[in-house]
Amino acid sequence: MARLLRPFEYREPQTVGEAVRMLSEYGAQARVLAGGTDLLISMKKRQVSPEYMIYIKNIPDLNFINYSQEAGLGIGALATHSAIADSSIIKNMFDLLATACNKVGTPQVRNMATIGGNICKAGPSQDTPPVLLVLDAKLKLVSPGGERLVPVENFFIGPFKTVLRDAELLTEIQIPNPPPVSAGCYKWATKTVAVDETLVGVAVLMTLDSADGVCTDIKIALGSVAPTPMRARQAEEVLRGKRIDDRLIKQAAQVAAGETRPRSRADYRRRMSRLLVSEAVAETWHKIR
Amino acid sequence: MKQIATFIVNEKHYELAIEPHMLLVEVLRDELGLTGTKHSCGIGSCGACTVLIDGRPTLACLTLALTVRGKDIRTIEGLAQGTTLHPIQKTFVEHGAIQCGYCTPGMVLSAKALLDKNLNPTEQEVKHALSGNLCRCTGYIKIIDAVLAAAEAMSKEAHP
Repeated sequence: MARLLRPFEYREPQTVGEAVRMLSEYGAQARVLAGGTDLLISMKKRQVSPEYMIYIKNIPDLNFINYSQEAGLGIGALATHSAIADSSIIKNMFDLLATACNKVGTPQVRNMATIGGNICKAGPSQDTPPVLLVLDAKLKLVSPGGERLVPVENFFIGPFKTVLRDAELLTEIQIPNPPPVSAGCYKWATKTVAVDETLVGVAVLMTLDSADGVCTDIKIALGSVAPTPMRARQAEEVLRGKRIDDRLIKQAAQVAAGETRPRSRADYRRRMSRLLVSEAVAETWHKIR
Repeated sequence: MKQIATFIVNEKHYELAIEPHMLLVEVLRDELGLTGTKHSCGIGSCGACTVLIDGRPTLACLTLALTVRGKDIRTIEGLAQGTTLHPIQKTFVEHGAIQCGYCTPGMVLSAKALLDKNLNPTEQEVKHALSGNLCRCTGYIKIIDAVLAAAEAMSKEAHP
């Protein structure tokens, strides 16, 4: 691997409008640079050699974490993993997202890498997408022609593939308020490498009708066990509308493992999926009660 | 095409003409001669190139230099005051927390970022703060001891 970069033209748009106009003008010859922790590595490996580098991190209205009772949580695409993990509103109300962001990379990577970059990279093993799936997040995509809101569930179409068009920029992640009497968690197992890459990631968001009551809704999402981050809908059905107990949790975990479609290390990934779904659902259930 | 940019490294201003594809680690080492910052894995795994940008540990091997012009850049060269070592450097020496020395500048800067925010860290917090810095000489125990000792020394200095 080369340790230095090939030359490129450098652009520093100051607004979203300017950035998407550049993207539309330069097309496939351009790459968007934010935190750089992924793109610059691909460039050193000569997997990509953009002619135009569009550095967006100085666009001021893309770096924010806003919360209001009415609108819920809005996270600018340039918010770093550290900023999200350290945000008191996120730690209090969306703690599974803080947990997942604190799992990504290393302290240095978390200071640099943005959540927008993490989502747009669409690596199957990334940690934030399963959490965003259970939180019902929507992604705001802006192009020169206008903007659209895409549910995170429809955003990923394959390993490293998304519905993002050439001249589109992810600008914001919108997350609704969690329902009352709900809790969530994120759990993972890693490969043992220098920067521990997630082997299986499991996010759960559970809602009960009262603290000791029936599970009115549950969302279970897994990362790194299919070509895209996935919901385990059959496992959710095992628990939805029921009074949770250990036997049901075991059953749901078994079903979830069966829903996974690992691309490699399938047997191990399924076993770990079963274990982690079971732990995550149990932990979430205990958190609410 | 080269661009003129001002870099603020260890509180000194440098005006340089640099290519946009130059990494911060190249500018520090090759243009400014500040070779304390090490260029090792190049892919953000080892932390040897760690510098502080506006106080936060950042990888100089994955940072385009132009993107940090005008920001507060701290390298290992900026810690000692003349011949007086920074307390973290002092405890690293006293605890034998240095073997080959290649990871040391990054370790010291990650430790500084932690202690600048928290002068009373637990061992777990020290480990978490240093988790992006790899040592191939297996010196972690002494490094952690050194950071905890520096925390104690600095906290005594701050509240005698």
